[in-house]
Amino acid sequence: MFAYGISKEYSLYYLRKGKGASPHIVKYSDGLKDPLIGGVRPFEPLKNFFFFARERVIDGLGRPADPKAGGKPLCVLGVKNCDLAGLNILDSVFSEGDFKDPFYVSKREQNLIIAADCTHAIDTCFCHALGHEHFPQKNHDVLISELRDGYLLESVTWKGKKLLNENSDILADSGEKHIEERDHIRSISGAQVEEGIKKSEIPRQTEYKDVIKKSLESEIWEREAENCVECGGCNVACPTCHCFYLADIQKKAGGETRYKIWDSCMYKRFARVAGNANPRQHLWERLRNRFEKKFDYFPEVNGLYACTGCGRCISGCPAKIDIRRVLKDLVAEKKKAKA
Amino acid sequence: MVENPYCPVKAEITDIIEETPTIKTFAVKPEKPVSFKTGQFVELTVPGVGEAPFTPSSNPKIEDSMEITIMSVGRVTSRLHEIGKGAVVGVRGPYGTGYPLKDFEGKEVLIVGGGVGLAPLRSLILALLDEAGKYKRIMVKYGARSPEDLVYKDQLKEWAGNKDLDIEITVDKSGEDWKGNVGLITTLLRKDIGVDISNSAAIVCGPPIMMKFATFKLVELGYKDKDLFLSMEKNMSCGIGKCGHCRIGPYYACKDGPVFTYDKIKEYHTIWE
Repeated sequence: MFAYGISKEYSLYYLRKGKGASPHIVKYSDGLKDPLIGGVRPFEPLKNFFFFARERVIDGLGRPADPKAGGKPLCVLGVKNCDLAGLNILDSVFSEGDFKDPFYVSKREQNLIIAADCTHAIDTCFCHALGHEHFPQKNHDVLISELRDGYLLESVTWKGKKLLNENSDILADSGEKHIEERDHIRSISGAQVEEGIKKSEIPRQTEYKDVIKKSLESEIWEREAENCVECGGCNVACPTCHCFYLADIQKKAGGETRYKIWDSCMYKRFARVAGNANPRQHLWERLRNRFEKKFDYFPEVNGLYACTGCGRCISGCPAKIDIRRVLKDLVAEKKKAKA
Repeated sequence: MVENPYCPVKAEITDIIEETPTIKTFAVKPEKPVSFKTGQFVELTVPGVGEAPFTPSSNPKIEDSMEITIMSVGRVTSRLHEIGKGAVVGVRGPYGTGYPLKDFEGKEVLIVGGGVGLAPLRSLILALLDEAGKYKRIMVKYGARSPEDLVYKDQLKEWAGNKDLDIEITVDKSGEDWKGNVGLITTLLRKDIGVDISNSAAIVCGPPIMMKFATFKLVELGYKDKDLFLSMEKNMSCGIGKCGHCRIGPYYACKDGPVFTYDKIKEYHTIWE
């Protein structure tokens, strides 16, 4: 009922239980199939809904594309906090500064996020190490918490409030006991996140300061890059990776279009200039650059680490490059240098 | 409504000057004026091919058109070299911070250029000459691979006779008719250069290897890092600090540069590559 209501105004996407540890985001049509409200973050990062993998930005010289083209705004149901935290980074890139990205800005204004508590953690979860909770903190419109016999809903923005008002006939008043139950579930899943952090010995963000600067020439980079196949999967999976390139395509009919397409800093040509000078000729330099961007650049320019502990790059990497191991080794190296 | 920063305005190529076998200067007239400060750059689109960043080489005072000097080295530039007068291209910008002319006032301004790196510097030189009285002295040291590779040959002759400007030129390898200096650009940065270094700013632009050695030489001569203004060539794609390609430490060359003082960037790795 609730989903049907949303689908009238929005293109609705929800989480479906998958075969693996992570659910997948699927599009709603005629009812929900194996939906998951709680659980953990899906395989796909939320950024897809605000910063499309490929988006037309111009229809020709002097002809800007319409950022609002493409029908109904989008709604994602079941978003987890590691993805919401990723929006802090994307907002700082696309919605701030002298120039703003109208495509991102309009989607942030129009789309609806119904976020949910994580009801358990998986092996790769380490959000707490980056200072993020395992339940929604900001950037969502509605919060939905899965309880034993139903759901606890809370509106956060006017958009969320509107949605709950429209669905008041299927909602009942909540009480103290519901909040207690939600907090109880949160404490169980929170303990699972902590357990994972302890097991993998992941250092906390308070220990990351200058961790890359101190290890620019470390052996860690070459060691980790050894098996990297430069697929760019880590970039695609990451909720904060925002790099893109502009591709111009000549259409047969005349007119030329320009697309904004996700790019990967692991690709050799990423920083290369015409004439072939390349500041990151070697793969290990590109791997180091990815960490620098997340753990040096962003904290320096806006005080945020561009990692939310979602763990997607760990499960997605065919070379088994584990960001937790890299951080652990970097912090250990820094401590050793100090001693 | 947020303006679309990825959309260029249409522009016409109104003239093309062959500078060297691989370098051409294009006169570009945008449909709507794109005014720039010297040292700022624009993204030039070849329709259906792509775009690339260039710093205009013309006087920033001229607002309805600009000149852009381009070497054929990559995908976009080689296509640019194939187009003719009257062709339609796209321009977006200007981007970046440009040269801080105010900081140069009352100073001895030393301009060091290598090869096609003289392009953005020409815009600077023209801007400086317009108000020559504001600067204590304007000096240009320019080096190219061979006499044939020198850009703006006519203008160089004119500058040689300009009393507001001291210009010295060198080539790495001379030709038969060459009577001037032979040697790398650093040979023009001699100890007896005759500059009051404590009251001087040096501006360097050229290929990465030249930038590196010219900068080291200037430091050796006694220039402070903060008085060295370097044009960093990075892969500036979006031009507005979003696409991530041109990062140098905590900066993006497109929005925080492309001109940086050496003290701001010297601690970061791979700045010369």
